[in-house]
Amino acid sequence: MDIQTEVLIVGGGATGGGIARDLSLRGIPCILIEKGDLTSGASGRNHGLLHSGGRYAVSDPEAARECISENKFLRRIASHCIEETGGLFISLPEDSLDFRDRFLQACEKTGIPTTPLSRDEALELEPELTPDLLSAVKVPDGAINPFELVLGNVKDAEKHGAKFILHTEVTSLLMDGGKIKGAWAKDLINGEEYLIHAPYLVNATGAWANQFLKLADLHIDLALSKGSMLITNQRLNHRVINRCRPSSDGDIIVPNDTVSILGTTSVRSEEVESFEVTPSEVALLIKETGKMVPAIRGTRLIRAYAGIRPLFQFGGKGGDREISRGFTLIDHGKRDGLQNLITITGGKLVTYRLMAEKTSALICQKMGIDVPCSTHLKPLPGVSESLKLKDRLKKIGQPFSADGGEILCDCELIRRGEVEGILKEEKLKALQDILHRTRLAKGTCQGGFCVYRLLGVLHDLKMMEKDSNKILKGFLEERWKGIRPVLWGTSLKEEELIENIYKGIFNF
Amino acid sequence: MHYDLIIIGMGLSGLMAAKTAAEAGQKILIIGKGMGSLSLFSNTIDVLGSLPKAMKMEPHKQAPDVDTKARRGEHPVSEGQFTHGQGSGSLGTGMSDGLSQWIKDRPKHPYSKVGLDRIEEALSSFTSLFPPPYSFQAVANGNCLIPTGAGTLRPTYLIPITMVAGTSLKKGDALIVGFKGFKDFYADYVADQLNCRGVTLSLSETFREEITATALARLMERESFRETIGRAIKEKIYGETRVGLPALLGVKESWKVKKELEEIIGAEVFEIPTLPPSVPGLRIFNRFKEWLIQKGVTFLLGYSVSKATLKGKRCERIDVFNPPIFNSYSADRYILATGRFIGGGLVADDEKIFEPIFNLPVIQPQSREEWFGKSFFNDSPHPVHQAGILTDSSLRPIDEKGESVLENVWVAGSILADHHSVDEKSREGIEITTGYATAKQAIEHGA
Repeated sequence: MDIQTEVLIVGGGATGGGIARDLSLRGIPCILIEKGDLTSGASGRNHGLLHSGGRYAVSDPEAARECISENKFLRRIASHCIEETGGLFISLPEDSLDFRDRFLQACEKTGIPTTPLSRDEALELEPELTPDLLSAVKVPDGAINPFELVLGNVKDAEKHGAKFILHTEVTSLLMDGGKIKGAWAKDLINGEEYLIHAPYLVNATGAWANQFLKLADLHIDLALSKGSMLITNQRLNHRVINRCRPSSDGDIIVPNDTVSILGTTSVRSEEVESFEVTPSEVALLIKETGKMVPAIRGTRLIRAYAGIRPLFQFGGKGGDREISRGFTLIDHGKRDGLQNLITITGGKLVTYRLMAEKTSALICQKMGIDVPCSTHLKPLPGVSESLKLKDRLKKIGQPFSADGGEILCDCELIRRGEVEGILKEEKLKALQDILHRTRLAKGTCQGGFCVYRLLGVLHDLKMMEKDSNKILKGFLEERWKGIRPVLWGTSLKEEELIENIYKGIFNF
Repeated sequence: MHYDLIIIGMGLSGLMAAKTAAEAGQKILIIGKGMGSLSLFSNTIDVLGSLPKAMKMEPHKQAPDVDTKARRGEHPVSEGQFTHGQGSGSLGTGMSDGLSQWIKDRPKHPYSKVGLDRIEEALSSFTSLFPPPYSFQAVANGNCLIPTGAGTLRPTYLIPITMVAGTSLKKGDALIVGFKGFKDFYADYVADQLNCRGVTLSLSETFREEITATALARLMERESFRETIGRAIKEKIYGETRVGLPALLGVKESWKVKKELEEIIGAEVFEIPTLPPSVPGLRIFNRFKEWLIQKGVTFLLGYSVSKATLKGKRCERIDVFNPPIFNSYSADRYILATGRFIGGGLVADDEKIFEPIFNLPVIQPQSREEWFGKSFFNDSPHPVHQAGILTDSSLRPIDEKGESVLENVWVAGSILADHHSVDEKSREGIEITTGYATAKQAIEHGA
């Protein structure tokens, strides 16, 4: 298929989706191409933390300022993706109160509102905290749902004319006389080939930046850092809990709907696609976060996962557009002589909109267009309806509603009607696509029961063309990666049941 | 109160031990926290689903290996291979020879400790508990293949009468029937995998648009419901000679449910095991319970043993917490049949596995990292599944050096070390035979 557009964006994470939205709101035609589903990279494997910026206040004030500024924008435009939990930075006996004082000063300098709390005040707000804590500082942290965020950007972009091609990989670049002309791409599921003509190309592939740049014989100094996280079976804290000390492993506990996410680690990695959470990381995370919330030490963990952070090693050749130490915009025309190819790299989830804005501004400049950015002003459209637990509970109480039917996922209370709605509305090509757009399989059993049921529903709707059991086995194998690192206690009991069902009753 | 024998655990092993001891006139207490895996995933009686391939009778030949390259979902032995020859005792030749070879190759396996003779006796004793019309049978003298809720085929040995018509399915033979609102079985899914047609019936009896397996099974016991369902199915048949339903043809009188449906529909009917709970397993449990109570066995379901009092190498009594009071029970002999992790027979913290009642040594991998392989399917069986209680040849617990730990306690069922029932497809066989054998051993030992 031959397609024409102005800007080709490669990479369907928060950054790519944000750029598509920004450009389309400015009236610039663009196509986004992604080799998996949306949020396949770090955007789907992070801590879900809406930073106040407190974490960077002391070590990187500029990054902190960006965080608090974007934090405020996101609360305005993406309120349905955010739980306004608030956050605390707590000091334990082994932490120097000196650091806490510097922390308070740095927050004030960078515009992050803080409220110091006494030990008793902190325990009143968060009774699960260790009684050994010395003091706490309140900050405007929040919890953010990255799937909803990215899907919202994509939906808005589509509304304004952007096109999205998923499960499709760029196979080669079209170049002529030192200029980007477009790219060849192939659908990894059905084999369809695309030739996309585009005078501008944005590499928003995150950790895959160099894999992509190989197509142009280019390379940037990118280091990969794996960050691991653990999910608890129950939500243990109301607010985000941070350790008030220089950044280290196991510093943060983020509440997320019905669970808590313990994080994180920072391990240099060579692999962008295959990585696992190691037993020492598991032990470290439980130990460190357990110092802040003692109940963590005996709590059931349901999943371990990791994401790869792309860390750009600043200090390369001329032409690097250093916007902040948080993220970097690279103009390959200036740097490498290949015009109209841009790489945007580094950054964090909370600054995606700013990264997108800077990238879009550079493109507009190259195009000679002067249209302002409006992504910080217009709210994102909501995507799924029953986001919050209390909404789902309310719906359960209303039988015979349009999105009713039996409860497919008992752990997360997801009804058949909701799932059928998603299946009928979107052109989803793979199981993970469905799982990204619903809370099904995110609960205690991690899909042990409900994915079988989901496949049954697909058959009932006559939407299943492939071998369900192959898909189910693939899912169970993938699920295993997240479960194996935390298999003991109650989780081990559950796993025995799952094995007896799939390898026993079903003889897989 | 004092008993001859106390059995801890009400799964298939505990129940079988109780039956065996009751038949010998012993005064028995059986105590269980719950109904055991019978109610969860036992549907049929597996003895050795992964029979070694190509049985040759030359004694000097190398023992053939289990065909691990056989694709999962496929039976590693071609059907019909063991249909010839005389059956030895109650086991068909195929199963008997397979077990003999298995025992020779694996001297530490629970089957080896039971021995072929007692395996046969135990299985006979089990089947005698289910006289016609709801009987258990081996089809074709060896393992048979039955369809499952994922549309795969699974090898098993003894099946109830309600599943017989599901064996030897050929393409297009059967109509698969599901029920709207019953979310643990999907007719189109199963039919697609089995190359048959599927149909989903609507029900008016759901509660909030859902119905559970047991509720549906009890509806099946009503004549009027059967009439309605039967007629609806009859209308949908188009040349099929058999009809497959999820395994919920009544909790009671399942043979009657099956027979009457067959009369209305005009085709054979069979049930297909699916996600837990297991209604066929429940039937087995109920039959044991009825028989044991009628024999005068003290049957304490829903009680948990909180502590065992040991003196030297003997157990003196057990304490049962029945809030707010503790009851103590004592016996000359005890059988531990508490299962693996699901029921809490074995408990795992983040470092090691232990047995909570008697604190028996548990043989296990060196560290947690070794419990499970990196691939769910390819690294099966995972090493942790072989963990469990070591026993001597009389099924009494020993430590790693082979020293006896307790003299008046025997160990039965899936808590035993040196087997992995999921991959071997031996679960119910091990439970029945070790339950039987430990009771025999305990009776013979005491005097």
